[in-house]
Amino acid sequence: MDVTLINPFLAAFTEILPQIGFQQVEKDKVSLVGSTFSYNGVLLNIAMVGSIKGVVLIGMSSAEAKRFASKMMMGMPVNEFDKIAQSAISEMGNMVCANACTQFSKLEINGLDISPPTLMMGQGQVTLPVPQAIVIDFNCDDIAIKVYVGLS
Amino acid sequence: MAIKIMIVDDSPFSRTLIAETLTDGGYEVVGEADSLEMALETYTKVKPDIVTMDIAMPDADGFEISRALLRQDAKAKIILSSSMKDDETELEAKRIGICGYVQKPVEADTLFAIIHKVLSPDTLFQELLARGLDTFKEALSQNITRMAKTNVTFLENTEIEDPYLSKGITAVLGVIGQYSGTMVLDVSFPVAEKIAETILYRPAKNPEEVLAMVSELANIIGGIACSMLNKKEKALGLRVSPPSLFHGNSAELVSPSVKIQKALAETEYGEIFLGIGFKKGSTLWM
Repeated sequence: MDVTLINPFLAAFTEILPQIGFQQVEKDKVSLVGSTFSYNGVLLNIAMVGSIKGVVLIGMSSAEAKRFASKMMMGMPVNEFDKIAQSAISEMGNMVCANACTQFSKLEINGLDISPPTLMMGQGQVTLPVPQAIVIDFNCDDIAIKVYVGLS
Repeated sequence: MAIKIMIVDDSPFSRTLIAETLTDGGYEVVGEADSLEMALETYTKVKPDIVTMDIAMPDADGFEISRALLRQDAKAKIILSSSMKDDETELEAKRIGICGYVQKPVEADTLFAIIHKVLSPDTLFQELLARGLDTFKEALSQNITRMAKTNVTFLENTEIEDPYLSKGITAVLGVIGQYSGTMVLDVSFPVAEKIAETILYRPAKNPEEVLAMVSELANIIGGIACSMLNKKEKALGLRVSPPSLFHGNSAELVSPSVKIQKALAETEYGEIFLGIGFKKGSTLWM
């Protein structure tokens, strides 16, 4: 497992989430997954291109996504995962991945840029353009988030 | 009416200097701030046309304040001013959505020129929006016709629902360059199976082979379309990322930060959905 690919995301989550209303951001575990895996809920896809390239996915269950969006909107109730909630989650992904690019540049991995986020809502399988992805499980104020780092 | 400007800088000296330069140039300085909280409060109150932003500040830096301002108003036009000038700072500014950058010490003419450019219509982006979907449609049409030996016709955009419900296999490609974007190609499994059979001259051995064909097709269409756009306008510098593939889907797809233009291609094998969207947000660098 390439630790170089993990630390920028740990740093990005720890730096960005407190700025959008979260108190506690903890890494639960780090594991590996093959290129194809299942998802159920909300999965945000952001491509990253530069001296390394691939994709970063941020996933959570539909219920967790509503809680996450509500937190970002200062506790406003989110009963439906509507346009505002979708926009909140994608904005979080955008901010975290943009910050991760900055963290990579501190490791001399330069010139990274990101695509706008695409959000899949439902269930199915995903196949990433890399043989293996690193999965980082985060616990953000008791909301479970999975970050799949498929970069090479 | 004079253009309204708000200055964010922790140094009273710098703020005075920039304010005097701007006032002499005929701009109206409507507010000043030296911290994140003050910047958010002042912005809401004075609603400036432009914000000038220092990078290095003691608590929240210029990037953090810019992120917060853009969260509050996605249309905020921010120009960074900093003594640092390097590629990574430029990229970070671009990723955040900052419109422009000037190097300190700020020269009056440079500052006025960048304010003018930031407030002018972005013709390159408008051309990309006008040409983007047609170019991707052309790339899809050419390659499906060549590889799968079938004619392609397109249905009008209005018949496609939003959010888009996947037909089964969705390839999502990121586009990076002067502007970033997303390409989506979506097809049902039976349609993909028939296309794979034509390309391979035999039935696909397994579902993985069908998925690999969709991924490769999306990659080729995205790559060729970006090359066509780059050829017409070098400054675009578009590149694609390898696609992620979502399959076995019963999923809806949305792209909250960009407007996806959609097209539905009809072939003898069935329909192929094509979506393409670009995000405004190049950083002017002076």
